[in-house]
Amino acid sequence: MMAGVSLTGVFTPNLWSGGPAPGQLYNFPATKTQNESRTHTMYPSTSGTSVVGLVYDGGVMVAADSLGSYGSLARFRNVKRLFRVTDKAVLACSGDIADYQFIREVIEQKVRDDEIHGYTPELNACALHCWLTRVLYNRRSRFDPLWLESVVAGYKGDTPFLGFVDKIGTAFEAKEVATGFGVHLAIPMIREAREKGNLTREAARKLLVDCLKVLYYRDCRAHFKYQLADITPEGVTIHDDLDLKQETSWEVASFVRGYD
Amino acid sequence: MQSRMVELETRNQDPQGDHGPQERNYILSLHDVLMKKSILNYNGGCVVAMKGKNCVAIACDLRFGVQAQTISTDFKRVFELGPHLYIGLPGLATDTQTVLQRLQFRIKMYEMREGRRLKPHTLMAMMQNLLYERRFGPYFVEPVIAGLDPNTKEPYICALDLIGCACEPADFVVSGTCSESLYGMCETTWQEDMEPEDLFECISQSLVNAFDRDALSGWGAVVHIIEQDKVTTRTLKCRQD
Amino acid sequence: MAVEMAMEPDYMRDPRKHHFSPYMENGGTSIAIAGDDFVMIASDTRLTRGFNILSRNQEKVLRLTPHTMMASSGCWADVLTLSKVLQDRITMYSHEHNESMPTTAVAQMLSTMLYWRRFFPYYVANILAGLDEQGKGVVATGASVAQIQPLLDNQVAALNMKGATPPKMTKDLARQLIHDAFISAAERDINTGDGIIIHTITKEGKTEEMVKLRRD
Repeated sequence: MMAGVSLTGVFTPNLWSGGPAPGQLYNFPATKTQNESRTHTMYPSTSGTSVVGLVYDGGVMVAADSLGSYGSLARFRNVKRLFRVTDKAVLACSGDIADYQFIREVIEQKVRDDEIHGYTPELNACALHCWLTRVLYNRRSRFDPLWLESVVAGYKGDTPFLGFVDKIGTAFEAKEVATGFGVHLAIPMIREAREKGNLTREAARKLLVDCLKVLYYRDCRAHFKYQLADITPEGVTIHDDLDLKQETSWEVASFVRGYD
Repeated sequence: MQSRMVELETRNQDPQGDHGPQERNYILSLHDVLMKKSILNYNGGCVVAMKGKNCVAIACDLRFGVQAQTISTDFKRVFELGPHLYIGLPGLATDTQTVLQRLQFRIKMYEMREGRRLKPHTLMAMMQNLLYERRFGPYFVEPVIAGLDPNTKEPYICALDLIGCACEPADFVVSGTCSESLYGMCETTWQEDMEPEDLFECISQSLVNAFDRDALSGWGAVVHIIEQDKVTTRTLKCRQD
Repeated sequence: MAVEMAMEPDYMRDPRKHHFSPYMENGGTSIAIAGDDFVMIASDTRLTRGFNILSRNQEKVLRLTPHTMMASSGCWADVLTLSKVLQDRITMYSHEHNESMPTTAVAQMLSTMLYWRRFFPYYVANILAGLDEQGKGVVATGASVAQIQPLLDNQVAALNMKGATPPKMTKDLARQLIHDAFISAAERDINTGDGIIIHTITKEGKTEEMVKLRRD
């Protein structure tokens, strides 16, 4: 070999943009080396726990407590995570509160735009559900997810609608829907109640409160203050600042032995 | 019923016959064994056992491989341990043989000490002991036991996991690399109170069609039909790819 | 479908840390059987997430054109997206060509669409079933494929049967096979159950039938 001639001078590291340098492997998209350059929020910060929803005879009901947990710290005790989108749709979310507040603003702007542009059909629950699916799926595909598990409740025409979407875009409709611990604790209660017979509005409300009570007892990230939305063909009623405290009793706690 | 299985060899055997140890030579690289994720799937192979009317059947494939490479196609993993008593040891081939040898030793000790034949249920207990002794450094075999009780002549089948958790169902047991496929086949083809010929057809079709969808097992099969007065061992002709 | 998720099992992870994985296994099993003048395509109706049953009546067969259907299972979010894009492109095709898209064309397009995401794949196992491309083939896909496929090999293709010829596939036989296969799969696979919807496509049109499965 000739003295003084180095091979690195002959072959530049990048033969073409994005292509392999000699002796190196091609850098495929979505592999580790590329992702390291951008770090997204891959975990939730202030988060809300379960949302529970059900379809009853003549409407849909959704409820969520109002606690924003920061890890195990009960940091914010009065955060609303359930809101009226239109007269036909309500959205409730568990997961990252900041992501919820972001998506709420986007939706509110979208509803205003629809109104300004004179779109006569109001954004209904089914449309909102479908739209959310696309937004959340898009964000997960960019590896920048909105850390949410959302429940969309409302009406599609004359039929009640209750749907679920999670942070990767998994979506389905059901007669009873829950997120977080509610999946384990509330859904069996609702399914059992439904097997026994029809659900009137009063029965549905009582059932939902029972679910929240069980969640409050057993889910460490749950709270006694909650919101409840009732959607009927006439419109949306949201009951704010409801309280479970009077209905719960921790007296038995002093009898529990063997766990300390 | 006319059998649809192609047989290579049929052998009727006296159940009281000789039970000498099996001999086999091969080399395994310990490094390769340690590098693999599931050592249970390293050599491939599967076993299935079924109950019939006053009879049981146990069958295995014949492949011995090292991952995707097939080394030999006459590796039996079902062994006769006594009259009306068979055990299948699918899993890591070296452990198949070690467990077999240690088991044979223990059975001989048992039979000498007790002066009577080993019951299938006792073999299960013995196997549980042997496997659980190595709870934190297990033998990588998931045994299947099939036999007739020497006193009551009741059919007996059982499957154990690699640390000795036993399961004694009323219908069939499966084990090895294509256990999911075997479940699917057996679940649809098995019926109660099958006669020996029907049992043979059922277990053979289940095994062969299941392992034809598995790259790690197949290349021939051996089926034992265990009845009160005879044990029929058949070698099946199978696809070799 | 024996699948490895991009993430390790929950008991291996640090209990305090959240983990983001863009994929999720939502189960689902589908079978299709083709006859001389019909195609039958069926899927179970259970949607799962881990040990939870999200829905007991989630259909997984999509009606693509008047004579083509597709059953998809795997990551449900990907199934939804893939089906939406597929539906859109089929609609655009029918507007451009003034005829509905042939099954072979749909198959080719599906292949291209899946390969387009080669390095961030749609986590979806698909069966496309339609009328103008009829073979004797039979396909199963999804969570219980290991349980079902060898059974179909044996019963439909008559493999390992000395002297036997494959049976003439009739609608009754196909329906019976699908039913039996799903019963066996539901027996041993927790991701399969609740119900089956069996679709039959013939020249005359499409019919569908709902059959119950065990719900535990």
